[in-house]
Amino acid sequence: MNVYVRYKDHNFIQKFWIALKDGNIWTKLSLFIMGAGYMAHRQIIKGLLVTGMEILFIAYMYFFGVGYLGKFKTLGTVQYESKFDVITMQNVVNDYDNSFMILLLGVITIVLILLFIAIWMVNMTSVYYIQDEDEQGHHINTFIEDIKEMFDNKFHITLLSLPVTGVLLFTIVPLIIMIAVAFTNYDQAHMPPTALFTWVGFTNFSKIISFGQSAEFAYAFRVVIVWTLVWALFATFTTYIGGILLAMLINSPATKLPKLWRTLFMVTIAVPQFVSLLLVRNFFADSGIVNSICSNLGITALLQQIGLVKDTITYIPFLTSPGWAMVMIVLINIWVGVPYQMLIATGVLMNIPYELVEAAKIDGATKFQIFVHITMPYMLFVTGPALLTDFVRNINNFNVIYLLTQDMYVTTNQTLAAANAKEVDLLVTWLFRLTSEYYNYKMASVIGCVVFVICAVGTLITFTRMMRAGREEDFK
Amino acid sequence: MKDLLLSFLRHLLLFVLAFFWLVPIVWLVCTSFSAYPGINISHFFPEQWSIENYRSLLFGTDTVAQFPRWFWNTFVIACFTCVISTTFVLSVAYSMSCMRFGARKALMNVSIILGMFPGVLAMIAVYFVLKTFGLTNSHLGLIMVYSGSSGLGYLIVKGFFDTIPESLREAAKLEGASEAKIFTSIVLPLSKPIIVYTVISGFLAPWMDFVYAKMILNSGISSDWTAAIGLYNMLEKTLINSYFARFCAGGVLVSIPISVLFIIMQRFYVEGITGGATKG
Repeated sequence: MNVYVRYKDHNFIQKFWIALKDGNIWTKLSLFIMGAGYMAHRQIIKGLLVTGMEILFIAYMYFFGVGYLGKFKTLGTVQYESKFDVITMQNVVNDYDNSFMILLLGVITIVLILLFIAIWMVNMTSVYYIQDEDEQGHHINTFIEDIKEMFDNKFHITLLSLPVTGVLLFTIVPLIIMIAVAFTNYDQAHMPPTALFTWVGFTNFSKIISFGQSAEFAYAFRVVIVWTLVWALFATFTTYIGGILLAMLINSPATKLPKLWRTLFMVTIAVPQFVSLLLVRNFFADSGIVNSICSNLGITALLQQIGLVKDTITYIPFLTSPGWAMVMIVLINIWVGVPYQMLIATGVLMNIPYELVEAAKIDGATKFQIFVHITMPYMLFVTGPALLTDFVRNINNFNVIYLLTQDMYVTTNQTLAAANAKEVDLLVTWLFRLTSEYYNYKMASVIGCVVFVICAVGTLITFTRMMRAGREEDFK
Repeated sequence: MKDLLLSFLRHLLLFVLAFFWLVPIVWLVCTSFSAYPGINISHFFPEQWSIENYRSLLFGTDTVAQFPRWFWNTFVIACFTCVISTTFVLSVAYSMSCMRFGARKALMNVSIILGMFPGVLAMIAVYFVLKTFGLTNSHLGLIMVYSGSSGLGYLIVKGFFDTIPESLREAAKLEGASEAKIFTSIVLPLSKPIIVYTVISGFLAPWMDFVYAKMILNSGISSDWTAAIGLYNMLEKTLINSYFARFCAGGVLVSIPISVLFIIMQRFYVEGITGGATKG
């Protein structure tokens, strides 16, 4: 019975502790020279490799890591200066601090340290395993056999190392940095390398909840977050219900050529959104084709009479005035989203227990009753968690809003404009504009954190829902 | 009689809906064959038909419109993204589905939580990281962004691997096959539909994406752009009146391969899901 089997119910901290307690002198020495235990038990190459990795880590910490961590508290103090040197006739730049580099490499260093500690602890367990095997007179793997193991019982390590590194670099580290920037004053006035930025605590967060004077960010934040939630609610439910109704219409046995109809609707989703949405936005432009048709048919005049269009303009402001734009965006989203939901709903509808519907028919239920009492509850039961995921996705539905309103919609609200926001912005499009056009990284990060929290709550609800649904399944 | 009327109404409704859904698409195709280069705001159908837009888009490139170049850029990026993300997704799915190891549960929980946070959130920070390493305005940076976190999207493939009978793998194990051998010679050949699905969805991502490309390729050098950015740029206020018809032609040219792949993908997706069900 080897160590792993003996202590299979212990977590890795407990295993580390056991290795530390029961290990021989070589195992204990591995605390400092990580490869010592392997080398003492005839695994020379492995020992050298592990020790080499340790030396690399220590060297990195000595030459870079400690420096970055030391400056991490202030994010740098030496201002960028460029002096003209009379002797060499060139501009000389001093050895300045780059706040962003310090932040980024500081975060990477912290992640590296945590990773190293984890590896160091697992390494102890693995050294203790070798010692144990050797003491019991078992075969000790040669280096070649170890490599072979990496393609057999330890194949998961080979398979997972690159994908996990990718996720670490492109998801986890960026998320940490985004959260950190929200606590700094990184904006256009504090742009590295020529200027420093530093920690400011919760100042940025207080800007979006303050009610006093010059609180344009707080005002814009309230407007944008309300619209974001309203939008997500409408977008989710309209496409969801629409998708189910359309799927029922097409899949009903009374409908001829269901495949043809389905393909016709699928054409809209097969065209990439940047083509279809940019097209639609020109379709509905102030001087676009829909407007000239409406004007010719007298619809514009009619709308002016009933007060939906102001007398001062001669077109219907489909995507340029707040009320019209919000309604149009939801409608256009129905155009984009319903075929998707139709595809999903088709799959679910085909699985509705047929006996249920038959029984209801025999009892004399109308079609509407069947829909309300059987189809809808069944759909909700199966797709309920997906509905919440859709809600979270719509909160972040960048494409629809950005492609429809960027360069089209100009806000007339001065307070909103002061915060670089628009009535039709979602939190994410506002965030994108703040970074890509106004370099206001600190506020963008704060908004990012808020979206993060909203999504986390949504995710948590989804999770608990899924758990409950799972239990219901067990109950049946 | 009543049935006939109902059936007529039902098909009429479908026809009206389909009409609304297809109007913009028809407009796209029609405008792409228009002889007038800007937006024709008075007529739905062009007054004069021509294939000039396609000709100038494909052969008469200028500083604004370099469509063949963009198409090629997107194609190269899509190929690399497709290879890397397929490898990542299959690797993670096999580890999570067919192997048992200590950190498995923890990794799966973390991945589910991370997977539910949309990529747009980490966008600024990803941009900074790339900028620090000098990878903005490069296709390499874009490929890394598209494929870096792709391992998180393993769930569908894992679901498929789960349905492959364990007895097959166990038998191979008894014969002395290593895990790597089981992966490449048993599990992969049995998973064709879901592999096709993964490959196509990996390939389509860069064609459909707009945000990341816009953020990372921001230098304004049009020969570096992807199709999405290039076509978007044609609709700048100063350009739209001379390039709108060409934008439509480009839209049609991009949409055709994407639509075909999309429809194939849907078929393999359904096949993957249902095929899995009968086996399990």
